[in-house]
Amino acid sequence: MAADRSTAELEQFLGDRADHLLRTAALLAGGREAGEDLLQTAVERLLRRWRRFDGDPEGYLRRTLCNLAIDDRRRAGRWRQKERLLRTDLRQVRDPAGDVDLRDALVRLLVRLPARQRAALVLRFWEQLSDAEAAAVLGCAEGTVRSAVSRGLSRMRELADEWNDTAAMSGREE
Amino acid sequence: MNTDVEELLREGMERFTADLQAPAGLTYLVARRRRKRLVLRSVTGGAAALAAGAAALAVAVVPGLGGAGQPAVDAAFVVKNVSSALSAAEPGTIAQMTITTSGSPGGATSAEEWSNGNEWRSVTYSSPGNPLYDEGYAASTGYTLVSYETKTWARQAGIGSPSVGPLGYPAATHGCGPAAGGFSVLFRLGLPGTSTSASSLPTTVATALHTAVSCGSLAVAGRPTVDGTPTIELKSRADSLIPETIWVSPSTYLPVRVVVGSAFSPGVQQTANFTWLPPTAQNLAKLTVPVPAGFREVSLGAAVAPNLKLIPGGSVPRAGAVCSPAASGTPCSFTPASAGGTVSWVAER
Repeated sequence: MAADRSTAELEQFLGDRADHLLRTAALLAGGREAGEDLLQTAVERLLRRWRRFDGDPEGYLRRTLCNLAIDDRRRAGRWRQKERLLRTDLRQVRDPAGDVDLRDALVRLLVRLPARQRAALVLRFWEQLSDAEAAAVLGCAEGTVRSAVSRGLSRMRELADEWNDTAAMSGREE
Repeated sequence: MNTDVEELLREGMERFTADLQAPAGLTYLVARRRRKRLVLRSVTGGAAALAAGAAALAVAVVPGLGGAGQPAVDAAFVVKNVSSALSAAEPGTIAQMTITTSGSPGGATSAEEWSNGNEWRSVTYSSPGNPLYDEGYAASTGYTLVSYETKTWARQAGIGSPSVGPLGYPAATHGCGPAAGGFSVLFRLGLPGTSTSASSLPTTVATALHTAVSCGSLAVAGRPTVDGTPTIELKSRADSLIPETIWVSPSTYLPVRVVVGSAFSPGVQQTANFTWLPPTAQNLAKLTVPVPAGFREVSLGAAVAPNLKLIPGGSVPRAGAVCSPAASGTPCSFTPASAGGTVSWVAER
């Protein structure tokens, strides 16, 4: 049985890690306000069980963030609608002044991917977890993570190719 | 292409979230939000829903995160996080290092070091509880050195600030050459009055880490446990002139331990264990160099010179210095820097 943990200990932990977790949450939720809301919900869940909590709080919050993000998207079913708009959006993303570059376009694509695919990419390339660790967070098999990452990256590569082709064409036109 | 896209995505994620900061008092905000919801639910007769919701909270803690799994991190990513963590820690957090030097001709020494902003202090011990010298910098007083061996002390304004560098030298910058100055990119062998004793300053460590990684001299070596704490291990290349290993916490990304060898003396090794202290009055007091009663005030040169034989590894860490490693036991005279002047070392015969 774990000893009671103080709220001060949780505050200390959040003082150290909340910024990073907020960034993770924003990537999972696709926006800063949604990310903040997601993080607060996850922290609330941790807070409820904190006194007797015996484990890695960051791991718990990371998993809760992913579950909440996936559940939210599943319930809303919005991603499918957004996915249909994807190509149009991406054309708008590329502005002639070059204010938005491929990196931003990739992130915009990321937040429009299906929730589980997006979570897999965030866990692998933002949280830098291994396939096994990401699978543990998402509660699925390693193969599922690999597959989701592969599909997500495939979409990213398509975007990058299209981006480079457009850039080359623009160059020729100039 | 695959790797390029991964890297671009990573950079994009970094940029997309770069300016995000969690609100202060997150625990308070969450508790307040929860109270509001509970009130709302009780008003609307939602007690049953609350109970159901609570029962559904069966989220398991993920075992082994940041632990035994195959490391998927790369050094650049870790260092970026370390740098962010150090930047975040810098405004208030006091970096405390306990440094042990082994393999030097003079035997093992240990030192304690604290830094906060531009202020720092370093105490070197011959044995536990027996200080050899105590030095530090504070904006209000400048550089202070207390020599316990000679019971003397000195103080000089205008030097010792990390932004200026010790004794009038510009703050240390590090190129990619592993032998740049023959020193570790992270911290230098201690030499009172001459070395960058404030080596644990977050900016110093962050800059050094960035340099080391951009030069390709550090790589992630694994995720071992150090004193019961999970860490990410960054190690210098096998062919590095100066072997360095850094362990950082995967949860805070702050350095936990650094082990550095010496380019001049292969047997010499320094181990620094980091503790990150809150800026309480008690901890801030550790930054002040106390001058014991009865100690005599002397010029800085006079205070520094007796310490030369104590240089770990017997080296003088500045190009152009006259005292050579072979003459480590030889007393040297010392001329401190003056405005626009230079520091010089002369071996006394």
